[in-house]
This record gives sequence, structure tokens and C-alpha cells, in this order.
Amino acid sequence: MDNKMCNITQSDSDDQENISENEVELTNRVFEVNSEDLRPLFLQESHLSDHQLLDEDEPFWPNALDDLDGVNINNFFHRVSSDQVIYQAKKRLKMIGKYVMGDLLGEGSYGKVKEMLDSDTLCRRAVKILKQRKLRRIPNGVQNVEREIKLLKSLKHKNVISLVDVLYNDEKQKMYLIMEFCVGSLQGMLESTPSKKFPFFQAHGYFTQLVDGLEYLHSKRVVHKDIKPGNLLLTLEGVLKISDLGVAETIDFFANDDTCVQGQGSPAFQPPEIANGLDSFPGFKVDVWSSGVTLYNFVTGQYPFEGDSIYKLFENIGKGDFTIPGDIEDPLRSLLWGMLQKEPEERFSLQQIRQHLWFSKRPPLTEAPVPIPPLRNDEFHCMTVLPYLFDHYYDTSDTASNLQYFTQRQLNEEIMKREAEQNNGNAQPNQSSKRRWKKPISCIAVRKLPGCKQS
Amino acid sequence: MINYEANISSYETISTLGQCFEGMAVVHLSKHIKSGTLVAVKRFNMDRIKQEAHLVEREIILTRQLQHPNIITYYVAFVHLQEVCVVSPLMAFGSCRDLLNTHFNDGFPEAAIVLILRDVLDALEYIHKKGFIHRSVRAGHILISATGKAYLSGLRYACPIVFNGRWQKQIHSFPASTARNLNWLSPELLEQNLQGYNQKSDIYSVGMVICELANGAEPFAGVATTLMLTEKVRGCVPELLDCTTIPTDENSDCHGDCDISNTVVSRRFSDDLHELATLCLQKEAIIRPTASQLLTHPIFKLTKKPLFLPDLLKPAMPLSSRVAAHIDEVTNLDVAQQFADMELYSCEWDF
Repeated sequence: MDNKMCNITQSDSDDQENISENEVELTNRVFEVNSEDLRPLFLQESHLSDHQLLDEDEPFWPNALDDLDGVNINNFFHRVSSDQVIYQAKKRLKMIGKYVMGDLLGEGSYGKVKEMLDSDTLCRRAVKILKQRKLRRIPNGVQNVEREIKLLKSLKHKNVISLVDVLYNDEKQKMYLIMEFCVGSLQGMLESTPSKKFPFFQAHGYFTQLVDGLEYLHSKRVVHKDIKPGNLLLTLEGVLKISDLGVAETIDFFANDDTCVQGQGSPAFQPPEIANGLDSFPGFKVDVWSSGVTLYNFVTGQYPFEGDSIYKLFENIGKGDFTIPGDIEDPLRSLLWGMLQKEPEERFSLQQIRQHLWFSKRPPLTEAPVPIPPLRNDEFHCMTVLPYLFDHYYDTSDTASNLQYFTQRQLNEEIMKREAEQNNGNAQPNQSSKRRWKKPISCIAVRKLPGCKQS
Repeated sequence: MINYEANISSYETISTLGQCFEGMAVVHLSKHIKSGTLVAVKRFNMDRIKQEAHLVEREIILTRQLQHPNIITYYVAFVHLQEVCVVSPLMAFGSCRDLLNTHFNDGFPEAAIVLILRDVLDALEYIHKKGFIHRSVRAGHILISATGKAYLSGLRYACPIVFNGRWQKQIHSFPASTARNLNWLSPELLEQNLQGYNQKSDIYSVGMVICELANGAEPFAGVATTLMLTEKVRGCVPELLDCTTIPTDENSDCHGDCDISNTVVSRRFSDDLHELATLCLQKEAIIRPTASQLLTHPIFKLTKKPLFLPDLLKPAMPLSSRVAAHIDEVTNLDVAQQFADMELYSCEWDF
């Protein structure tokens, strides 16, 4: 088959707001049907938007010559039935400055987080991609991000995520926050286990690092305000990094104490003083409370306070009554009590936590630690940049026999299947399927509703 | 035993030997005034090092911890103004990299490679036993003394295998400021995934050093780092260049750079050396031999009378005998120092 006809590459259209989590560049190739009769002409490489590609039954060729009236059009254009239009999943190399773009790692509150590779040092990095347009829609979005950048630049500690670089693309209105690479959050690890909790020694290892990081932040007059397992990331080495300082507050240098007035963190981790809507409260004790809830979550797999709605939840937190499961024994039990004291003044300080018996004594290794869950079936979390580099350096399209081509029909079926899954409330990404496509733009964009569940 | 004082005034600078640590440190040839012995004084300009200060600290602590006849020793380390100075014995032939640059552009003769290699492997065996991974084994970090002994240096990139009192099966840390060492690093270290790496990573670097010493340049020299990465991940095994590995027919254009000299094309390294390199450069770290296993390789069995490395390195001359001829450079040095200091003023203010 003669396949040298048309090679249409679909551009990564940034206008779409509603694209699936896995962006796959699609290369459209048209294969000639009857090569003896028809001679393909004037087919040039062009760019098509996602919309056009998915909606046209026939391939869309924008370079039609309209001043050629009397000419038999079949000499220039021949009909190609839709099952002859095929798409090819392709990983095309994309560079942002000196960084090579990799796959999606997760979705933050403000945008996507992707993997990157520093082409100078070959060090793996993570990048938070922020779209100005999206940011403006979030209350305080732009200010929060600017404050976070300024804050992260001034911080340097083993247990606090470090900002490596900030890049701007004015044309695309995008901002790239390049950070240390992490393999996952403690939240993800907890969710991957049936019991949703860590063995004591593992919880102890993470908790001590959390306290180290918090102590540093507080010494820099920074109140994190959003400590939770989802914001505690792990590096390949297993070092805990406190991340997401989006709602953190820096206490003024000349302030008398650590009084804060605003609480913006995740509801389940908020202390009674915020749940009760107090005008002001001591800031550092907020982080102690959230760390207490986090530790409670590590060792029990549950939350000390729950509620069907945010109101119920805050009501329960406000009362401050909670129970600790019976299997949690004393030094740990008293530590949790101390950290979850309703009155901020009675609540432990970081110094008290550090001096606590449970903190200073490492629990024995009793069972296998909870491992970092695999990312898209890859238990080793291999560099996702590699396939892009392979594609760039080696002409895989000709040599690789496992390359997959898809027709329009298959593509539509795939899309319909996905939609059906979503309508059934079964929106889980199809893990087994290697093909994932951009969702078609629908008129009704289904936005994630903010709930009490922590993001 | 000479007592080396922790004071810069006890050392008289004779000349500059070279730079290291990306130009942030200078190595001076100096004379210890009291005893008259020649020493090397490495001076780290801490004003310029800033972020990597802990690397200097680590290098000094670790080097002073380790004691092995094939690892560089530091007599004394001290602070002088904005500099950290380290006094070490003079390595009269300089580093293998210097020798390759000055006298052996196409690589060392095999006998010299084997002698150097044995010393390096001895040092690595010791380092690994002590629970460290060197992570920057390269010709530039192998120094040759006047008596022809090879010394391993560059311990600032090393990392401990023992954490929290436990010997780790895998290490995951990616060395900081390692851009210049990338070509020598093993695929598993570069991949930075959860499989991690261990001391076998150093063995891969040894394989790279064998190629470097034999070919005159390390494999992937001048290649884009990202391409080097994909090549290593794909399992591309670099080779020693000689008549067995360079295709003779003109048509093959797999060696685009046609500046390979005739000596390279006509020489022939022993099968043992080829085998040693490929053993070290295996992609699978598990099947790569350890330093101890490599030392039992037949290539190191000296059946003939022992060779003397300085003889093999001719026409290169040890520094100590060259010093007399260059003693008038001392006056120029002051000027050079002034120029170096001027750079301080060009650095940006950072509040």
C-alpha cells in the first residue's frame, strides 16, 4: 500500500477546556485505495483542530484549489472512505526551555502536573502547568500562585518541596512551575492498601519528617494551613516533601504572635477554631491539628471527625469529641490526644511533639511497608519522558511492529464507550486499554463539583 | 612524618596546576616551606560555590575518613579568607584526563590501562566495602603519582549505602551538580526509577573509563545528553576502538567522524581487555561483576615481570622534575590570581 499521501498532524489545541487526562498526539494518515486509477495531488501537510477531525466523515483538506473549475475534480481529490482514514498514537517530543515534557502525573487544584526531564542535568522534574485564564476564574487564584512562588523561592529544606525554576509562555498564557520530582502522595499510598493505613514504623517515619518540615516552615513564620496526606509527597528516595503552599500564610515580621484570620484548607483537616468560624486564631496550632488528623489517618485509616456534609463535618469538629480505636496504645494515643486538643492553647506545640515518647522511639519493623502504588501499571515509575525521546531520536514508526493504527470508526467507538462509562458513573480511566483519546468537546462541560472530600 | 600546618602561610605557591569543580576551585603546586616537600593545595572559592558548599564539606570529610593506598589523602584542610584549602600529596603526572589531553590523544597503551585499572578497582573494592558508592569514576578523577600509582579522587559525588543503620539494597538519590559526570553514569542511575541502583553503578563507570583510557575520549563525548540517555537505556554498549571494532571498508559510514588516526585503526587491544570492558558495561546491573570479582580477571595476573607505569607513560614527565624549568612562572601567577579575583566583582548581587 502506498502510504505517502497525507500526513496531518493535529495540533495541541489549547482552547479546549475539557480534554481528557491523557493527551495523545494523533497523527492522521490517509492511505490510498486504488493507486492505479487515481493519482493523489496537492495534498499538503496541514493542521486540523480536534473538532474537525472528529466530526468530519470525510477527511478535510483545506488546501483545495477553488480556481480550477473545469477540471475533473477526481483527478485531484478522490474519495476515501472513512475506514481508510487512520490515526496513529504518537508521542511527539515537546520542549519547554531546556526541559523535555513527559506524561501527566496528576491534577493539582490549579492545573495539570506533568513530568519533565532537565536536558542539561538529566534530573527528573515535575512541572505544574498553570493557565492564566483558568487562574483568573478561581477566587484569589493569581494572587495565591504569585504568593506561592515567592514563598517557595525563599524556602529550602529537605522536607519542603523546592521550586527549581519558573518559566512563562506569554503567547500561550501559561506558567510552568518546575519542582522536584516526586513519585506520589501519601494519600495515594493509603488509598492503594485495603486497610487504608500504614504500619506504625512507616507512619512514624513519615510523621517525624513532617514535623521536621513543619518546624522549618514555622521558623520561617510560614503557616501551611493545608497539611493532609494528599499534600505530603514522596521522592524516589522516600523523603517526604510538604507541598502545595497555595493557601499558606506568612506571619508578618513585626506581628506580635502567630494570629491568622483566614482558613482555606481542606475541611476534614480543619481545627475547631476554624470550624467554629472564629475571627482569629493562632496559626501554628492549625498545622499541629492538621498533622494530628494526618497521623490519626496514617495509623487508623480513618478520620477523627466525619460528616455527610461540610456543615455536619464542621459541627462535629467544632464539638471536638472524637474517639481513638482501641488498638492504638499508649504513647501514640496520648500523642494523638495532645495534638487534637480542642483549645489551641492546650494543644501540643511542635516542641512537645518532638519530646513525646512515641516520637523519639522508633517502632519495630513488624510487617512489609506499604509500597508506592504503580503509575499506569508501571510499578517502577519509569521516566515517562523516554518514549518521547525514543520517538524523537529513532524512527520508530517504520521499525516498530507493535505500532497501532486506528480508523475513524474505532475512534468513535472508543469515544462512545468512554462516554457511556462516564454516564454510568463509572468514570474510572480504562487502565487496561492502551488507547486513550481526547474526549470530544461536548456542549455541556461537566465540571467537578467541589465537595467535602479532600482533593 | 611531616606535620602539615593548617595555615596558608606555611605553603609557598609555585604555580597553578589546574582548575576543578567547574572552575570554582583552583589547584596550586605549592612548597611546604618547613620541609621543602611539594604538595598540591586545592582552594575552593566558597563565595562562588554557594549552593554546592555541602559537596565540598562531604568530599573533605569522606576523603579523610577513607584510608587506602589508592585513594587520595588530604593532609590537612583549613579555611583561609573566603577559601577552603585542602593540602594533599602532589600527583606528579596529574590526572589521567590531563595525560590523555597532553600526550595520549588516542588513548593509553594497554599495559598502562591495566596498571591504572587495577589500582582503581582496588580503591573501589575498598570504597564499596566501606559502604559508599563513588558515582564519578572517570579519568579526570584518577590521579597518577610520580611512582606511577593511581589514586582515586572526586569523592564529593559519593553517597553512603547505609541509611538509618541499615545497608540499603537500592539507592535512589540522583547526585547533585553531576552534569559533567553524566557520560560515565550507569543507565540505572540515570533512569531514576524505583528500581534504583547500587555499587554496580560504579562498575559501569569503570567500563566507561576503560573506553576513555583506551580511546582517548569517553563514549558519548559530544553527544546530546538526552541521546546518550536513550542509547544507554536501549542497551548500546560502547567499544574499545581498534582494528577489531572499527570497520575497515570505506563504505560504512557508521563512524561519521573520519578523523580516526591510523594508529587507532591498526592497533589491537587484547581480547581480555575487550571482554573486561563489555563485562563492566552490561546493562543489567545484576550480572555486572563486582570490583572484587573483576580483580580476579586473568588480565590482572602479572605473569611477566611487573611493569613500571612511569616508563609506559613516556614521553609524559612527572611534574616534580619539570618544576625546575618553570620556576619563573611564579611571578606571572600573582597577575593571574589578580585576574581571577576580579571575577568576584562581576558576579551579581543577590540579596
